[in-house]
Amino acid sequence: MLRTSLFLISLLLSSVFCLENINEEFEEYLSIKSLRDGRVTSSFSFTTLLRDAIPRDPRTLAFDDDTSQHYTLFPLSLGQILRQYAITELHLTLNAGKWNYDTWGYPDEPDVGVGAELRAWMAGDSISSIDERWQGVRNALAGLFCASLGSLDEQRTTSPRLSFPPEGALPDWGLPHELRHASHASEHVCTENLTPFLKLLPCKSLSGLATLLNPHRIFDADWHGIGLHVLWRPEGVEVRLNVQLVFDPLRISAQGKQDWSFHSLFDRKVEKACPVASSTRVSVELPNSGVYRVYPEPQEIRDGKAYYSLKNNNEAWNIGTMWPTDFEYRICHAALSSPDPALVPFSVTRNLLGPTQDRGQLSIVLTNNQQDTLQLLYLETMPWIVQFYLHTIRVHSDNVPRDDLISNISYVLPVPHARPATFESVLTLPGRSTLTFTMDVAKAFLRYTEHPPDAQRGWDLPPAIFTPLNQSLNGSMSLGSRVYTPSLLVDLATPDFSMPYNVIIFTCSVMAFIFGSVFNVLTRKFIVVRVRPDPPRNQSVGTEKRLEDTDSDTLNELNTSKSGVH
Amino acid sequence: MDGQGLRLQAFLRRFFRPAGDPNLARINRRRTMFSFIARRMTVLKLSLFIAGYVWIFSVPSSQLDRGVYFDENALQPGQVNTYWNWKEVHDADHFLGELEILRDSNATSEQRSQFIMSEFLRIGLPASTQNYEFTGLPKGLNGTNVYAILRSPRVSGAEATIISASWISRVNEGDGTLNLRGVATVLALSRFVKQYSLWARDIIFIIGDGYMEGMQAWLSAYHGVTQSNLRAQRLELTSGVVWTALNIDYPGHSLSHLGIFHEGLNGRLPNQDLLNSFQHISRRTGVPVVLYDHKDELDLGWLPDNIRNHPEIKTYAAQARNLWRHVRYQASGRGSGVHGLFHQYRIDAFTIFAVPAAGPHGFHSLGRIIESTLRTTNNLLERLHASFFFYLLTSYDRFVKIGNYLPSVILISVAMMFGGLQVWVDAAWMERRHDKHEEGSTGMVWIRRRRPVLEAVSIVLGTHILGAACFFVLSHKWYQSLPFTSPLLWVAAYILPLAVPRFFPQNITDNVAPLSLVLKAFNLCLSSTVISIISVLNFSLAACLAVALGIPLSVASSSSNGAMGMVRYTMYIVLGFGWLLLDETRKQMIWDWDILGVWLLPFLCVVYYPLSLQAALVCII
Repeated sequence: MLRTSLFLISLLLSSVFCLENINEEFEEYLSIKSLRDGRVTSSFSFTTLLRDAIPRDPRTLAFDDDTSQHYTLFPLSLGQILRQYAITELHLTLNAGKWNYDTWGYPDEPDVGVGAELRAWMAGDSISSIDERWQGVRNALAGLFCASLGSLDEQRTTSPRLSFPPEGALPDWGLPHELRHASHASEHVCTENLTPFLKLLPCKSLSGLATLLNPHRIFDADWHGIGLHVLWRPEGVEVRLNVQLVFDPLRISAQGKQDWSFHSLFDRKVEKACPVASSTRVSVELPNSGVYRVYPEPQEIRDGKAYYSLKNNNEAWNIGTMWPTDFEYRICHAALSSPDPALVPFSVTRNLLGPTQDRGQLSIVLTNNQQDTLQLLYLETMPWIVQFYLHTIRVHSDNVPRDDLISNISYVLPVPHARPATFESVLTLPGRSTLTFTMDVAKAFLRYTEHPPDAQRGWDLPPAIFTPLNQSLNGSMSLGSRVYTPSLLVDLATPDFSMPYNVIIFTCSVMAFIFGSVFNVLTRKFIVVRVRPDPPRNQSVGTEKRLEDTDSDTLNELNTSKSGVH
Repeated sequence: MDGQGLRLQAFLRRFFRPAGDPNLARINRRRTMFSFIARRMTVLKLSLFIAGYVWIFSVPSSQLDRGVYFDENALQPGQVNTYWNWKEVHDADHFLGELEILRDSNATSEQRSQFIMSEFLRIGLPASTQNYEFTGLPKGLNGTNVYAILRSPRVSGAEATIISASWISRVNEGDGTLNLRGVATVLALSRFVKQYSLWARDIIFIIGDGYMEGMQAWLSAYHGVTQSNLRAQRLELTSGVVWTALNIDYPGHSLSHLGIFHEGLNGRLPNQDLLNSFQHISRRTGVPVVLYDHKDELDLGWLPDNIRNHPEIKTYAAQARNLWRHVRYQASGRGSGVHGLFHQYRIDAFTIFAVPAAGPHGFHSLGRIIESTLRTTNNLLERLHASFFFYLLTSYDRFVKIGNYLPSVILISVAMMFGGLQVWVDAAWMERRHDKHEEGSTGMVWIRRRRPVLEAVSIVLGTHILGAACFFVLSHKWYQSLPFTSPLLWVAAYILPLAVPRFFPQNITDNVAPLSLVLKAFNLCLSSTVISIISVLNFSLAACLAVALGIPLSVASSSSNGAMGMVRYTMYIVLGFGWLLLDETRKQMIWDWDILGVWLLPFLCVVYYPLSLQAALVCII
């Protein structure tokens, strides 16, 4: 009886909320997919739509902001930042791990570069410069997410031309919009970032799909990342918070089975739906083959996916999939059987070769898995500590030099101690071929104070980004899904900041001192010469002559030694 | 009190600043000091030599070394509970059984690598093979490496750790004993580490074919280094920068001790913290550690009982044995095993050698120790950089600091330098009976004479060019294929320099110094400089040079007796070039240079042989 009445009250309350927030809409969606190597990827997205809202026009930044900001579902702390710095579109991701495209395929959320990545589209005007607002938004988000986004400074900020088109629309204010992009590969995502992230959700982690976001499990996942995406569409401003995870059930359960369920992955179940969410949906991608069981019985199956709506249920949800047999890794001998069809059209490896600390070679190997020719947009945003020698670019296709396969090179020079390099080009991959791109690089010699506290670790370089260019029928180009390479670590010439360094310096000084004295003694001779006062001029000729004959050398030496004394 | 103080002050002032011209006093003081030193130069030189040699031979004593300690606090060795257990031992036994079947069926290296790769793939690790071939050798040298990479969860993959085993064990420097248990351990480890998410960096498992050559090919390909005589396949899988590597060698049936082998190519050493962590962990786990495979005590039966059982003597003997082994590995530049190849890429590596015995330890203890060591290196936030790159291990837990061993060689080198400078000065002066016609003088006077510098320098340069030519001939590929090349080369290296006196005919005059003196001065100074420089790069080599060249070069002198001169000449040539006639040594050195790039052969040819040749020429000019 009591339960029924409580339910009725909550229903009433939620309907009241819904009535109030007719212009704010919140949706939750979770998609889960079993991967080829037995891992499970799950992608949460929490979308809030603020209807009929438009980003702030930067020309109004000169005036005080008098319109009140009143939101019910939309996160206020984020709204304030967006309004203060007049941000049109914003993407922030904090990821850990290396996304393995070859066995996992494309991720649901494309931004999977390791570490922190931030990019924003802002309209320019004369009142406050884009760079000032970019600095402001960096620092504000650093405070909001407890992440070291403040280090995404001018030395890491770039504005690539093509690789990051706006996801939403850009308002037509008659102002040009500009992109600012920065990434920091050595930033680690942790609980301290997740807690403020959950605070932006209307139900926090108390109900709905966010219940599953158990920090103990999230940060144990093989790959994990949280993201914040703000974009504008004609219907309103959309904020999408997403969490993407790759679990390894074979590791978690320590059994040979790839079974998973909410409980096994997250150690939690969804007890109740978020009352303010307009929809709470879960989709499970069904395996292509084999015997398996998805439970509970899906409400809808469409396009190889089972869909669940988690509204209107009083029971705890524990969705999962079971297999009757143990998981076996596929051993693809090239000779024995044809390998599995590739999940991605091309694979990429990037390395920094060369054992020395002053020179190196950037090497990229791209393999086209398709029959068709593929065009790739290649973006490298390199801190100035690694300097490119563009004239050493060599492109080989299947070990044949093919310099014609690289085109449209655009290069923004780095400024030492100030600005990174931006290198964009288009690479053409003939079908079923392997393309090798190499370029010599120089490693900078840093100032003594520019080394970080853990100087001997090296410097993390941001990932390179490859975007397939698809030519549509009408001849226009569209961009495919971005592919991020893993980050690199570069060793620069580093002084030894430890005690032996001082000892070596001291010893060298002593040795130099001793050598100097010994050498001096061995090669010079000191002789005392009594110099008589000058005799009168008329008698002097003969004496001087004699002096010159005998002792001119010693006199010179005496002079030298005297000058040394004073 | 005040009066006394003033008096003291006055005394000190008088002492340090005597009355009169201070410059004059200073010059006089210097003159007295240097004439004092110059008059006793021979004594000084001798005492420096004696001090140097005594120091070298007292390095193994327990007075100069100290216990090891950890410098890098991040390592935290032995602070974890290990998970390796009997299940993993069972895995290792299973892999061993499979490998033994392969061995008994005489599988080719291609079959072996396919098998190991499929095992890696079955474990769920991306794995691949690498074919390599060394060209230009009289005997073909090729094989296939297998490697797998654990993409550790949650990490960016910018860093990696290597666990390796070569197919052939290091027993008797790779005599062909198979390292089956080492390979089985690596396979079992790869399955084991995949169960945990605690790894801070990728882990690369490599099974190198052959003894050293497989790993050389793999490392060259990984770091993008090209070697003219190596054709290595590109690596399909790569990972990040490697900081540390463990090489596992388990040739026997069981093990009683774990041995440490650490010397790298061309005298490089790994950071001592890595070795310290390992020995600390191993002893904590209950497996005794030894340096190399020295588990038995040295047999000192020829010594009287009371000396033999003296603790100091016993320690000295044991440590001297360890050091002698170390000097042989380091001075030869070849290193003591597969781990030596890693050091050139700034990877700290060593070999864990399971000393063969009937028991009591096996996969269980070894696995625990490797797991714990791996987790210790996993703690590193930076590359191992703190202090310990210069050390001599006298035992697994004692070492000699650089300050305690380096001076020994430097003293000898200083003695040589003093000797050289003395000869240089002596060459400029000559004592001559005074001309009686001049008035007011009697007896001997010193007169100055010219020193033939240009001639001496051209001889020095010529010897080095001859050495370089010898090296060119030795490293050429037809050298090994033709018969009798070594004796011919030796004879050439013996006869050719004999022509030198013809080019520089000796005209004995009073105002020109003999060429042999100037040449000797140059020779001594050059050798001294070479020894000093080598002492920080490769101490063992410098010590060997100091012992081999120190006294012999100092006593070289021309002889009026032609036969005596030739005898001396021959002795110096044998000292400098005798190694050419040792067949095995020479072949080994050529192989090391061709395949691994060990500098010993070029060093001996271009530096060492010319130095002794110069001394030889001093005797016959």
